[in-house]
Amino acid sequence: MIAVALRNLRHRPGGFIATFLSAFLGAALIMAFAALLDTASGLSAAEGNDSLVTTAMVGGGWCLVIVAFAVTSTLSLAVRQRSEQIALLRRAGATGPQIRRMVVGEALAVALLASAIAVPAGWLLGRVLVSLLKDTGQVVAAVSPGFGGIALALGFGVTLLGSFAAGLATARRILASSSRRERPRLRRLGAVLFLLIGANCAVLTATLMDGKGIDAMQTAGQAGIWASIGLALLAPELLRLVTVVLGPLVRVFGVAGDLAVTGVHSRTRQLASAVMPVLLFTGIATGTVYMQGIEDRAAEGQIQPEYAQDIQTLNYVVVGMITLFVAIMLVNTLVAATTHRRREFAQQRLAGATTGQVLAMVSLEGVLITVTGVLGGLAASMFTILPFGSARADQIWPSESPWAFAIVACSAAVLTAFATIQTTSRTVRGPATTAVRA
Amino acid sequence: MTDIVRVEELYKTYEGGVTALDGVTAGFAAGSFTAVMGPSGSGKSTLLQCAAGLDRPTGGRVFIDGTELTATKDTPMTKFRRTRVGFVFQDYNLLPSLTVEQNTVLSLRLAGRRPDRTRVHAVLDRLGLGDRLHELPERLSGGQRQRVAVARALVTEPAVIFADEPTGALDLRSAREVLTLLRSIVHDHGRTVVMVTHDPVAAAYADSVVFLADGRLAGSLRAPTADAVAERLAHLGDRVGGVLA
Repeated sequence: MIAVALRNLRHRPGGFIATFLSAFLGAALIMAFAALLDTASGLSAAEGNDSLVTTAMVGGGWCLVIVAFAVTSTLSLAVRQRSEQIALLRRAGATGPQIRRMVVGEALAVALLASAIAVPAGWLLGRVLVSLLKDTGQVVAAVSPGFGGIALALGFGVTLLGSFAAGLATARRILASSSRRERPRLRRLGAVLFLLIGANCAVLTATLMDGKGIDAMQTAGQAGIWASIGLALLAPELLRLVTVVLGPLVRVFGVAGDLAVTGVHSRTRQLASAVMPVLLFTGIATGTVYMQGIEDRAAEGQIQPEYAQDIQTLNYVVVGMITLFVAIMLVNTLVAATTHRRREFAQQRLAGATTGQVLAMVSLEGVLITVTGVLGGLAASMFTILPFGSARADQIWPSESPWAFAIVACSAAVLTAFATIQTTSRTVRGPATTAVRA
Repeated sequence: MTDIVRVEELYKTYEGGVTALDGVTAGFAAGSFTAVMGPSGSGKSTLLQCAAGLDRPTGGRVFIDGTELTATKDTPMTKFRRTRVGFVFQDYNLLPSLTVEQNTVLSLRLAGRRPDRTRVHAVLDRLGLGDRLHELPERLSGGQRQRVAVARALVTEPAVIFADEPTGALDLRSAREVLTLLRSIVHDHGRTVVMVTHDPVAAAYADSVVFLADGRLAGSLRAPTADAVAERLAHLGDRVGGVLA
């Protein structure tokens, strides 16, 4: 089956691009942070050993979470897109374990390639990190950045292990096929838990961290992230709510609007998976950007701690990183979800829909997804912005202009629109009669 | 009788050089029920798709209800089709998220026409679906689903209804029901139906049968019986010098 896996990769490399990109970015970032450990080895505490190790652990930890999430999501969609091929293999006599070996083999091959190509990128990023730490005096200037065994071992190890786990999870999902049922209670429980953690961090920020200056960012930033995750888990409910509220408005567009609204109601779960990345992106990006804005304004004319500049850079780096991952996940989710609807689109066309009408329907669904994600993200970002404003500037509602939020919302809308419309028009190309049999 | 559908010198060659239609000229009269038959690969489905405006032939002309289909782009073809042609497919092609009533009026609404509810209900009543208006397709039997598809084709009042293996996925009893229904909409309501099938029993419900072999016409039969159709089908290979000896 490993041979089949390798042949699949060579035959259709395009299907694995999203998985490859997530693994590549993840490996590069992990190597960069792990290189700090290489640099730290042999240094004394006075020379900055602690700073290096802490940064490596915190940064690397976040990377690990994001990578595992992104690789699993991209891989499972890449594999689900080929359900036909897997059905074929099963009919040809492949057993469950053989299919599993194939899927895991593909995942590992992609991860190995991605990690190997990520080495130079990780090396470069690692140097940038060390020089950042030197600028702030957390590490003495004489330290030379290292990149050795630990960076390579962790970079390859974590990426391969993460991909292996993602492959196993994906294979289990395929083999369980349709018997997999949603467990809303568990999901809702998780959502409540994350929201509570977020609320707790928000309260801590507004009370305990009040007057602690820039240090309040630690809890404020987390509050928004936890709240974003919690609300993202509630994506199906939020989507349904938004659809009920906006339904009459969408239906004004006639039959395409009707189809979009009924589509959301009957396929809430699939569409909700596209709401999640939009919500996470909007929530974390808006929260972080406004938090930094509040900080910048509050710090004007004050004596800043020497690492303030550094935190600013790190904050924007985090926003950039998350944007990149979310963009990959969003596009990947939408592409896979749309390609899956080839037959549905063909049926609509055979019932007399023009491709324009199909596109209109999908665009309206995209609007519902974006509105849900952006509103949810805005709500989540309040967990960061309001308490931080209160703690840092004694002003709950930030005086920053809404333009930054508008830019975040527009990016989310553009990404969603681009991915759905692009894939849909590709999916409806060619005669409907052949597509309906696929 | 005038021909509602007329195809002239129809050729269709697929990429890779497979010839599906090799110069077919045929007409389907108004108010007739015609079955198109032939072995697998004879080009019968291609003929239906080209005649119905679902696919473009490589060469030749197609007339529906007196108008030539000249469009080559997808959107104008769809617009041409939806005012003139109704479809019934083997796998029903009902949208799973829409109810019986919504599925029935879908084609009308896509064409931008306002459905007349009383008429739609009358059609569904006549097809025995009057009490299932708000049911989703997954809760219906195969026969019922196919009747919804027939209802959808009927309410647009098309010049012709094309049926592609409409009984292919049905059990014997449901198949009989659907075929009787198709015959009745021709004989009692004056519609025109062109049906592709490989089943001689289904073909026997039609007024006449047209045979295709290797992309060419291979004769026809009026007032067919299942036995006569099966007999002709079995010897199609002899006439065109095919592989059947």
